[in-house]
Amino acid sequence: MAPVRPNPFIPFTARLKDSIELTPDVKLLRLELEDEAVRNSLKYQPGQFAFVSAFGVGESPFGITSVAYQKDGMEFAIRRVGTVTNALHELEPGAIVGVRGPFGNYFPMEEYKGKNIVIIGGGIGMAPLRPVIRTILDNRQHYSQLTTIIGARSPSDLVFVNEYESWSALPNTKLELTVDRGDANWKGRVALIPAVVKELQLSPDNTVAIICGPPIMIRFVLVELKALGFAPQQIVTTLEAKMKCGLGKCARCNVGEKYICQDGPVFRLDQISTFLEQF
Amino acid sequence: MDSVQIIKDKARELLASKKVECVMGFERATDGKTARPLFAYTPEDTERFIYDQTCVHNLAKFLLNWKDKTTAIVAKPCDVRSINMLIQEQQIKREKIYIIGVVCSGMAECSWNKVGPAQERCTTCPQHNPPIYDFLVGELVAEKEPATSINPKVAELQAKPPAERRAFWNEQFSHCIRCYACRQACPGCYCTECFVDQLDPQWVGIRHSLADNHMWNTVRAFHLAGRCIQCGECQRVCPVNIPLMLVNDELTKEVGDKFAFHPGMDAATVPPFATFKKDEHLGIG
Amino acid sequence: MVKFIQKTDLLAWLEDLMKERTLVAPAREEGVTRFRPVNKASDVVMDSGSTDLSAKDWFFPPSEVLFTVSKADGKAVITPTTLAREAVLFGLHPCDAQGIALMDLPFLAEPTDTIYAEKREKTTLVGLACRQACQECFCASFGSGPFDKSYLDILLIESGEGYIVQPVTEKGQKLLTPAKVTESNIATPQPPAVNSLPIEGLVEIAPKIFNDAYWNRVADRCIHCNMCADVCPACYCFDIRDYTGKGGVVERVRTWESCQAAGFTKIAGGYTPRPTKGARLRQRFYHKFLYMPKQLGKIGCTGCGRCVRVCPVNIDIREIITTMQKSGAKIGAGSS
Repeated sequence: MAPVRPNPFIPFTARLKDSIELTPDVKLLRLELEDEAVRNSLKYQPGQFAFVSAFGVGESPFGITSVAYQKDGMEFAIRRVGTVTNALHELEPGAIVGVRGPFGNYFPMEEYKGKNIVIIGGGIGMAPLRPVIRTILDNRQHYSQLTTIIGARSPSDLVFVNEYESWSALPNTKLELTVDRGDANWKGRVALIPAVVKELQLSPDNTVAIICGPPIMIRFVLVELKALGFAPQQIVTTLEAKMKCGLGKCARCNVGEKYICQDGPVFRLDQISTFLEQF
Repeated sequence: MDSVQIIKDKARELLASKKVECVMGFERATDGKTARPLFAYTPEDTERFIYDQTCVHNLAKFLLNWKDKTTAIVAKPCDVRSINMLIQEQQIKREKIYIIGVVCSGMAECSWNKVGPAQERCTTCPQHNPPIYDFLVGELVAEKEPATSINPKVAELQAKPPAERRAFWNEQFSHCIRCYACRQACPGCYCTECFVDQLDPQWVGIRHSLADNHMWNTVRAFHLAGRCIQCGECQRVCPVNIPLMLVNDELTKEVGDKFAFHPGMDAATVPPFATFKKDEHLGIG
Repeated sequence: MVKFIQKTDLLAWLEDLMKERTLVAPAREEGVTRFRPVNKASDVVMDSGSTDLSAKDWFFPPSEVLFTVSKADGKAVITPTTLAREAVLFGLHPCDAQGIALMDLPFLAEPTDTIYAEKREKTTLVGLACRQACQECFCASFGSGPFDKSYLDILLIESGEGYIVQPVTEKGQKLLTPAKVTESNIATPQPPAVNSLPIEGLVEIAPKIFNDAYWNRVADRCIHCNMCADVCPACYCFDIRDYTGKGGVVERVRTWESCQAAGFTKIAGGYTPRPTKGARLRQRFYHKFLYMPKQLGKIGCTGCGRCVRVCPVNIDIREIITTMQKSGAKIGAGSS
């Protein structure tokens, strides 16, 4: 639980420690909360998000890509798509930003213990999935087979490449990479993610599949998973929506009576299929 | 035969022959007195059409939602000017629209449950005949050369000293709640991203301060200079009764005076601010 | 015997209250009645019937600063907005009080919007009963009525040369202390008859007609002008943006924004979950009739009728409700 603030619209202040280029349009921002008490007590779970403010420009929600128990700060993988993300990309280490959160529900890692986990991430969709992988690897004996499928438009768009080795080093831990189109140096697989899912003939037995990425990728992956026999309760995703308050008040991120900022962003497929609006 | 029956018959014929997919017209509103737009899709729907001085809406704006479909539209002369403007700006195609042009003797000042006297803009409007039409309702009247409506209040306001005018507009714009209903109602406002919503650069601040309210209303008026066809919809929908037509009419008068240009009379002439002519008026300002 | 106050004494009481408090009351600007802080009791408009803009404007203004951020010594200093003086919200009708109660549901729910909560705590609500009903209002549908005291601190009922005074809460009673309230044997008038629409079963019907073409048909004439949401006492969707003012002081500003705006749900990257007019129009009605009841327990409408009066294309919520009820009956009867 984050320490209670008097006004839930007011962010904590944080300093930018590092700004690391992951791809031509994605940077990893590592932030250190200024208030020591907050720094030591702020807890968050894989799947939760927080708002990062570039004061004067605006505030946007981002999936938290670090784990709460790591000591070197809070991390966000931010893709440059608009005004706020542009401003965040331009910041130099030492700059002050705002952090508000954590918000939302989270991946129930306890429930996943003893199961096989399949993680499917497209592009920047890997950001909220990274803490899931970290949690599993740091508690490896509690989880069965881990298969991670990472895809991107091109090799230069793959995120977190420096960590891929550690994501496949342990036993029972596989990493499958793929790109939509290769380049001169790419020697790996060139295929769309749904095709990889089909190729691997993943078994639904005692398995949870966690997907995050562009809506169109998710849609076709679901087709493949269904064909392989995955039940809706076995498939989990995190939904994206335009958010402003994160508090379930501005009514912007609602899908029916569910607020993505409070009841989500993590949803199982059987929950999503009850939604009247399909996002 | 009265106008309503003529319109109903024509609409029924157009829909039955599938010449158009929809006829945009008017029906009675739920207060039993004023009117509201009606989109007729079937010959049966056409029974609901009405036409009288409560049909104040400019339906031309809806054509922007129907770009790929063939539509008929019941249009007053001012509405037809909007259609011309939108065709000239390549927002809609002439061949997709069937204009049921109505000869107009003025609309009433309407609000919920109230039909008032003639609208001010109608009392000075020189144009009773629709500039173009595919089907005419009413008899053409003898008219002078194309001209725009001159709002006498503009000259009154222009005669006042700047300090007084500034105070007047400060008062008016302080009421603005930035609802953007004026923009939504205006056929000339169709940008997919309005300047006021842009963040990068942020042209207008998000706060409802006097300076930002001035910016919003003034820049919108300037974006319409030479394009506004004086339908008055912006003023009609404004929830805080800002006399928006005073701003637009002043700019319309200026454009008329300096460029001898009257917006919307045909679909070919390019408005002054969308083109450059070597011999155009250079002594502005 | 009832408590009574002469009109002149009421004005004197309001003048007295203004010494220590902000008096927010209906005022007329360019023929438009809206709730504003007033400087003189005589500026208060008491004959407007339903005001053009609702009383929500005080607790949830069209634009307000949530906090400011200024940089000092390399550090960011965040200053939240607080309400300096206590306030009296005067002259709201029962439908407006119902609206405030509806807005309390999201804003006071955890995590509490402390700015809103502070205003609510520091404001006393002095309501005015309706001696006449509007043609378009239907507050009786939601269990309210022209003399409904719910959610008010004081209710005044115009009668004869003044007002019958009904204190409702301790807060209200306390505010009345300096007022010249007397005992009177004036008769309490009868409340006027108010329309009522059947609203039972809307929560069950709504999911069944979600994909009906009806919503697109109504949306044909909607110009998404946001007026319905602006005048509605129960519409509370908002936008938050930053604004950099003079001296580099950043203001985080909250403004009204309704689901009718085209960019309301647009995500970075351009994807819009609600791309059609029908989807946006439907969202407003479903939020009120389905999502709010499911999430917060109450239908998000007070029956004040403002949206009916103000819609430039006569999208009439009463017609929507009636059509929904009819379609529900049809579905039940087995026709397609």
